[in-house]
Amino acid sequence: MSEAAAAPFPAEAGRERLRYDDRVDLDTRITSAQALALMGRSLKLLALAPGLFAAKFALGFGVVWPTLLLPWIGKIIIDNVLLGRPFGETEVRYPPFMQPIIDAVEGLAPIEIMLFFAVLYVVLLLVLGTRGGEGTGAGLFEGADAATNAENQISSGGSEAGGLWGIAEFMVNVRLTQRLANALRTRLFARLTRLPMTTLDDQRIGDSIYRVLYDAPMVPRICYQLTLEPFFIFLMAFINIYLIQYTYGEVAPELIWIAWATFPLAFIITFPASALVRRTNQVKRAAGAATTNAIEETMDNVQAVQSLGGMKREAERFAERSRESFLRERYALAVGIALLVLVLGVMIAAAIYMTILVSDKIIDGEMTPGDFAVLFGLFWGIMETATGIGSFWIRLQEPVAALRRVFFFLDHPVDEDRVQGEAIGPIEQGFALEDVGFRYPDGREALAGIDLEMPVGEVVAIVGPTGSGKTTLAYLLPAFLQATSGRVLVDGRDVETVDLDALRGQVAYVFQEHRLLSASIRDNLLLARPNATEAESERALADSACMEFVRQLPDGIDTVLGQSGDTLSVGQQQRLCIARGLIRNARVLILDEPTAALDPQTEHELVQGLRRRAGDDTRLVVVIAHRLSTIRHADRIVFIEDGRVEDIGSHEELMAKAGGAYRSFVELQGG
Amino acid sequence: MIVGDLLEALAKSEAEPPRLDARKFLRLSGKTWPFIRPVIKHVITLLIAGAVSGVFLAVLGLVALDLFNNKVLVGERLQPVQAVLLGLDESYVTSGAEDEPPVGADERRTVRDRLIVWFGIGGLVILGSIAFLAYYGTWVRHRINQGLRVAMIERAEHLSLKYHSHARVGDAVFRVYQDSAMIVNLVEEAIVGPLVMLYALVVALVMVSLFSPQIGIVCVVVAAPMVWLTVKWTPRIRRRALANRRANSDLTSRLQETFSAIRVVKANRAEGRILSRFNDDSHRALNAAFHLRLEMVLLSALVMTLGGGMVIATEFVLAQWTIEGRDTYLGAAVAAFIGFAIWNLGAFTAAREQIGEAAGTGYGMVRVWCMIQDLFIGLDRAFFLLDLEPEVADPPRPAQFPTPIRQVAWRDVHFAYEDNEVLRGVDLVAEAGTVTAIVGATGSGKSTLMSMLLRLYDPDRGAVEFDGVDARRLRVDDVRANTAIALQKNVLFAGTVADNVGYAAAGKSLADVRAAAHVACADEFIEAMDKGYRAELGERGGKLSTGQRQRLSIARAIVRDTPILILDEPTASLDARTEQRLLERIGEWGRERIVFLITHRLSTIRNADRIAFLEDGRIAEYGTHDELMARPGGRYRAFVEAEAASSEAA
Repeated sequence: MSEAAAAPFPAEAGRERLRYDDRVDLDTRITSAQALALMGRSLKLLALAPGLFAAKFALGFGVVWPTLLLPWIGKIIIDNVLLGRPFGETEVRYPPFMQPIIDAVEGLAPIEIMLFFAVLYVVLLLVLGTRGGEGTGAGLFEGADAATNAENQISSGGSEAGGLWGIAEFMVNVRLTQRLANALRTRLFARLTRLPMTTLDDQRIGDSIYRVLYDAPMVPRICYQLTLEPFFIFLMAFINIYLIQYTYGEVAPELIWIAWATFPLAFIITFPASALVRRTNQVKRAAGAATTNAIEETMDNVQAVQSLGGMKREAERFAERSRESFLRERYALAVGIALLVLVLGVMIAAAIYMTILVSDKIIDGEMTPGDFAVLFGLFWGIMETATGIGSFWIRLQEPVAALRRVFFFLDHPVDEDRVQGEAIGPIEQGFALEDVGFRYPDGREALAGIDLEMPVGEVVAIVGPTGSGKTTLAYLLPAFLQATSGRVLVDGRDVETVDLDALRGQVAYVFQEHRLLSASIRDNLLLARPNATEAESERALADSACMEFVRQLPDGIDTVLGQSGDTLSVGQQQRLCIARGLIRNARVLILDEPTAALDPQTEHELVQGLRRRAGDDTRLVVVIAHRLSTIRHADRIVFIEDGRVEDIGSHEELMAKAGGAYRSFVELQGG
Repeated sequence: MIVGDLLEALAKSEAEPPRLDARKFLRLSGKTWPFIRPVIKHVITLLIAGAVSGVFLAVLGLVALDLFNNKVLVGERLQPVQAVLLGLDESYVTSGAEDEPPVGADERRTVRDRLIVWFGIGGLVILGSIAFLAYYGTWVRHRINQGLRVAMIERAEHLSLKYHSHARVGDAVFRVYQDSAMIVNLVEEAIVGPLVMLYALVVALVMVSLFSPQIGIVCVVVAAPMVWLTVKWTPRIRRRALANRRANSDLTSRLQETFSAIRVVKANRAEGRILSRFNDDSHRALNAAFHLRLEMVLLSALVMTLGGGMVIATEFVLAQWTIEGRDTYLGAAVAAFIGFAIWNLGAFTAAREQIGEAAGTGYGMVRVWCMIQDLFIGLDRAFFLLDLEPEVADPPRPAQFPTPIRQVAWRDVHFAYEDNEVLRGVDLVAEAGTVTAIVGATGSGKSTLMSMLLRLYDPDRGAVEFDGVDARRLRVDDVRANTAIALQKNVLFAGTVADNVGYAAAGKSLADVRAAAHVACADEFIEAMDKGYRAELGERGGKLSTGQRQRLSIARAIVRDTPILILDEPTASLDARTEQRLLERIGEWGRERIVFLITHRLSTIRNADRIAFLEDGRIAEYGTHDELMARPGGRYRAFVEAEAASSEAA
């Protein structure tokens, strides 16, 4: 998908690629229609937490009403308590919801009225935190970049109220935010771990971290911006308009229309910038991801960096990336500031126009000077609402930029999509390759015209010069790669049509490059087979010649390995990886150069162990190797060169062929 | 769920809170100075610009308010300065007489129109300064953060492998990225902000006391439980803040480890299990974030309730005084300036505003205090990394690296990883012009021995010497500039082939790169690729076969053209033909150099001039292949025979 999408704009894609070494996600532009679609998909997440969302909505809705009382209570305190005036002296009408309170206090002595309100205030303080401060919320300090903002984003929440209500709404809101963000980032994580091997070759680890941890948390914001925010904006707008109608009904209509005129204005001036906002935000995130890559790569390979004397170079590379990332953050910020200034400019212009209008009336004596402040306050309130709605679209663009980066990988095809597989039972016959060819996406041909049988019960060795396609061939069996021509059959069925879980569940693959997790040895084994018993673990360790060194470790099998297993020697790590392959007790075991880093003695033990495993007829062992000592015991040796099978047969058969490719290979090694 | 959260928040936690006293605050702040100093002028400019624009706006606001309310809306005459500002003649100016006639409607409109022009100009200035300060402030913050980030990365890169074998990559990512960012808030939010608040609080309290000392005292008395609560609550917040940062750091590590081991995950069909682990870690991190915030919210709610209670109570008292018309504390003394001699509406409103201000500021300070705890815990984590001293360090007065180098020697070298003693007195000398093969069982310490030539580790006892000079007397960079290694783990970096080969050798031409690739037998497959030396390698070189990666690593070591070369299992993944060609070319290339081969392969070992057999942490045997094979019952001989036997046995 990525290649197809990138194709129409190779030049631009090329530039971006050079700068941020993205090789998967190349075309980062979004049209407004795509942005809208992304919003729709984000919104669907709300269905995951209907209860929390409803609770947040109800709590937010509930707190609007009591606060409406406060200005009117203030007025009563001034007029009827402090100034001691009786009720009903002025023309101003109280809104209907004040009537019960007025009924209660009318006729009381001023200090009694005050006492009534003091008690009411205390109740409101405890329940709603009224007059205690400014609502509830708890953000942390953050840095000046998208990555550090993510921590607050993923746990954002709060309430207009304080007190018990505020605490409750805060808790509901934070949990809602977290659930939405977590749902998305967990999905993204799951998807990223299932990318096809060829895509994983190109996907940077730092970029994946950035997307999961820093891009995905933007989703709750979009959900709120599309639901709660507009609802409450409109609600407050209607309440304001209603209150003005009640009090300043004659002059207000005009002002209300002026205030509302800022809505289309704000929209018109900000809309053309939406592509710019999306682009600058995309780029800032790509640059941030490149910075994350730089740290991750340096730290993960610190041994190589140090031993090659690359520290200075790596530090400079990081500094360069980080500087670029900050610069891109500022570009996005500058666009944001420019838009804010434009919207504020519209508001100021409208305010000036309103000032002229009202002051004319005051000068003409139609209104009193006292009306101005009140009207201005109401006017500003409505205008804020209007411009808020007018800039609604533009404010959505920043999170959309982040979410495109998330949805890109959610939409990226993974192996499992292609295989809505037929279930298969235990592999009985084995694998067969029919005229199989493989080309990498960049066009390199790795395999061509391979015809091969790998029946269960055999040990098959794949032999050949480096770069001849041995690993590629082995990758085809568990469908890590899919043949680009011909068919790979398992028990007579095309691997592309069978259920991936069922297939890979029966194939244990031990890679050339050994990767252990920073966990205990036991956990590393259990990763492959969670329900393995103690005896099974020990047998796997014994068969892979690990038992001896594992026993010597301070905590034995529970020893926690350091960063990528660095506390062990390379040979020991490799043996542990083999143990991890063995413990699964799978029908098919593929060992990719298992003995390269082993001394002959250890290798001998290992081969003995493997032979014990392969002893019964229900197993297929595929070994890729250079060492004669490993190869020669195989039932069948497949010699490949330049992606083609040159020789097939047992050691003796092949050695009997004068001038055979395998024979000359062996003779050379024998020296 | 919510109730459970609340109960957990209220439960007493046993974990020891991180210690953060005033001295530590000061020490951490002091440590940030080297990163703030380069931009201190900008920080000060920013603070002054913010203060000036604030004051300027306030003053202008007052003038404009007077002009608009009193002059335009009411129709009073202008002060002389105001007339000048608006460019109006003397007919608008007040004479100061009491019975001055009001100005006419047209004149009021003129005043208004000109005032509007000023509003417009003022609006533009305000918008301009908002925009400028926002951008400028971010620029300054970025500069400060950049300095700290880079310093941390540099330090992390220089820490010895002993540190790195226990540290998690994701933790470094988190510290460099997230913890370091706290520095940008230090000056404005953690130092200047609270000082400004303190000032505002004092001013408000003084004002309140001028109206009524009793109320002033009440305010101070109410502050006592607020402070007590905050002090009591602080350790809880610190504990949660630390837990939050740790949990998120763990999550980052989990991600990093998963993605770097993704093939293993796929091969073992462990996607589901890895996902549930991620989900657990993710929830742990989210819970930590939630509980930290909940602690902050609970404390705020308590403080706000206290403050709000005080406001309501004092308001009631003030209302009573106002109804009675009692004298204010200052009474007649202020009557000449403002009408607050007795408690009236104006005095009530003003006093209530100040009480509210005092309570609000107090609440704000508590809030910021909570955030500052997290800020310093972040800084503490950032500086923890920065303060680690590399175990392998440059000597104060380094010796010259000997050139041309004639020999390297290990003298009674001992070394242990934790309790696991690997080397127990190694003695070995290698002369220029020789190829020495290091042979021994898996895990016998061959790679460790060689790492010492690069000072990746220093010996625990004994010494590594270059022409008799102890490596510890040499600069690390000099040592590494003279020794090249091709690691057993073929680490490639994202980038092109040429980038990777030239990785550790700045300023090498493409011709040098080609020559090195030729020696490493890598030229054949590189040239067969579409873009040749400019071909992009995948993440960690994932698009190449292991044998190809191995040869690139070797080329990368060779291109550096150093007098000492170490090849760690250079031929493990090579076929026999390539192996022999490679060894031949290296032998030729290394004529004047000291070359080490770590290997198991007999065919490779035979090419060496000398063989050192490492066993039980010592050099058990040393000599040429023929010499060692001539020893009956020799260790090396047994090793070779075992190899031969396993090849022969059918």
